[in-house]
Amino acid sequence: MERKTTVLKRLLHAPKLLVVPGVYDALSAKIAEQAGFQGAIMGGYSVSASVLGEPDVGYLTMNEMLYSLKRICDATTIPIFADGDTGYGNAMNVRRVVREAEQAGASAIFFEDQEWPKRCGHMEGKRVIPLEEHVMKIKAAIEARTDPDFIIMARTDARSVNGLDDALRRAKAYSEAGADALFIEAPQSAAEMKLIAQVLDKPLMANMVEKGKTPLLSADELEQMGYALVVYPVSAVYAVAKTLSELFRQLKQEGTTQNCLGRMIPFAEFNTIIGLPEYNETQKRYAHSSCKQLGAKERL
Amino acid sequence: MKNQKLRRLLAAPELIVAPGAYDAWSARLVEFSGFPVIYMTGYGVSASTLGQPDIGLITMSEMIAQVRNISACTSIPLIADGDTGYGGILNVVRTVAEYETAGASAIQLEDQLFPKRCGHMEGKQLIPQAEMISKIKAAVHARKDPDFVIIARTDARAVEGFPSALSRAQAYADAGADVIFFEAPQSVDEMRDVAKTIAKPLLANMVEKGKTPLLTGKELTALGFKIAIYPVSALYAATKNVLALLASLKEQDTTAGFADGMVSFPQFNELVGVDKARALESSFVEGDEKRQ
Repeated sequence: MERKTTVLKRLLHAPKLLVVPGVYDALSAKIAEQAGFQGAIMGGYSVSASVLGEPDVGYLTMNEMLYSLKRICDATTIPIFADGDTGYGNAMNVRRVVREAEQAGASAIFFEDQEWPKRCGHMEGKRVIPLEEHVMKIKAAIEARTDPDFIIMARTDARSVNGLDDALRRAKAYSEAGADALFIEAPQSAAEMKLIAQVLDKPLMANMVEKGKTPLLSADELEQMGYALVVYPVSAVYAVAKTLSELFRQLKQEGTTQNCLGRMIPFAEFNTIIGLPEYNETQKRYAHSSCKQLGAKERL
Repeated sequence: MKNQKLRRLLAAPELIVAPGAYDAWSARLVEFSGFPVIYMTGYGVSASTLGQPDIGLITMSEMIAQVRNISACTSIPLIADGDTGYGGILNVVRTVAEYETAGASAIQLEDQLFPKRCGHMEGKQLIPQAEMISKIKAAVHARKDPDFVIIARTDARAVEGFPSALSRAQAYADAGADVIFFEAPQSVDEMRDVAKTIAKPLLANMVEKGKTPLLTGKELTALGFKIAIYPVSALYAATKNVLALLASLKEQDTTAGFADGMVSFPQFNELVGVDKARALESSFVEGDEKRQ
């Protein structure tokens, strides 16, 4: 069977745009795969919310991220993009993150050029590390991977800090350092997005955050511009937050879930999504004589 | 309560001697040997759990796992190395809360820069004094039990010189740190000056062949120090003995000649508490099921 990393590399270089939803736990990842997506991306923003119930301000440790990553990779057969944040330190930390993410089963990881740790949350706006420092992080990431098809993606956050010219300069430098794919965060118009695609020659990722700084474009528009990949990192966690808020409000008000059934997936359907039929099939292979003493009901 | 016990020890006249442990087992041996407090070293934990040098690869989660392992199997207070708090102010808040929950009675936070910008740069880099003061205030705010001890360490002696380091130490004491750890004073005179200037309990770091003279407990007490840690002694002793054992096995094709370098099977079982565990198990078994 073709490795997930090889599959992803092929998909990234194919002419067709790869559409990738954001997931944050094993269940949301399974749902993404069953919905027919060819890949999924795990983002720190939603993992921080899911695992810690805290905002994405740098609380999440590398181990917590990797734990979620492994759960997601184990629960799916499609390639998974990992969020490597800043690499949780310097180039030496980046090396460790790459090794661990590969072992967890990811097929790609991206590293951003933001400063870490966030020195003080009061300081509005991001800060970026020097270009040269991030170039070394990208080189460290490439040297650390053991599978040559494991994708190292470089992200620059310089657009909102130093402007588009600096962001493009950085993306080119990261590309020359060997990054397999590039991601300029938060271009502010369709024209900027078009320019980025014209100037850069590696597979490009577009980040579609609803009500973010970048206009929400359709897959067709992005494909025409030349993007290889589009991700929707927060859509699932926002949809869940809304559904649960409404469900809990109704339960609190009405003291029953009787009127919420339309919001929920039926029991049988949930069991199918989570994989109970496959589990039962597999279990049959290990049936032995003493199983017969138990009726069907007890086995449920 | 371990936290109150540490507070009582801090208030008592005697010096607190806290040998360094790097895992649950070395911590058990510290307690077994009759010391009042355990010191958990990041340097040793990095070597023990990652097999890597102490260059900032160890994560908060990995340190907490070790804090939990150590505090769960011991009954004396634990002082745990919290490095830089693993990030900015908010990371300090989370680190303190997690260390406290994991069972430490004190956390040590230092004013080094993390992560280091460049591994080539020998020596330490510091964060500004004002930033460290914010971190200490955040740590004091984050603890739930007022008896949980915040230890502020300054590494400024080697970077900015003695007077600057002393003024940092004073500022950290004023910010609310319970104990001051003045890293690497270079002479007995410097140690005496620190003790004269700082009104909070002081920690002395006894690293063999380090920059600070190795003094006895009596000498440290006379100078005015309250805690003496020996962070790397157990790690280095264990390393040396394991190396000797392995060299001997390689050379002699048997471990027979090294028996004196090891504890015996019954000794180890006693130290690790096999009898206690068996007795506990047996206390829940009745009648016919009892096999004894």
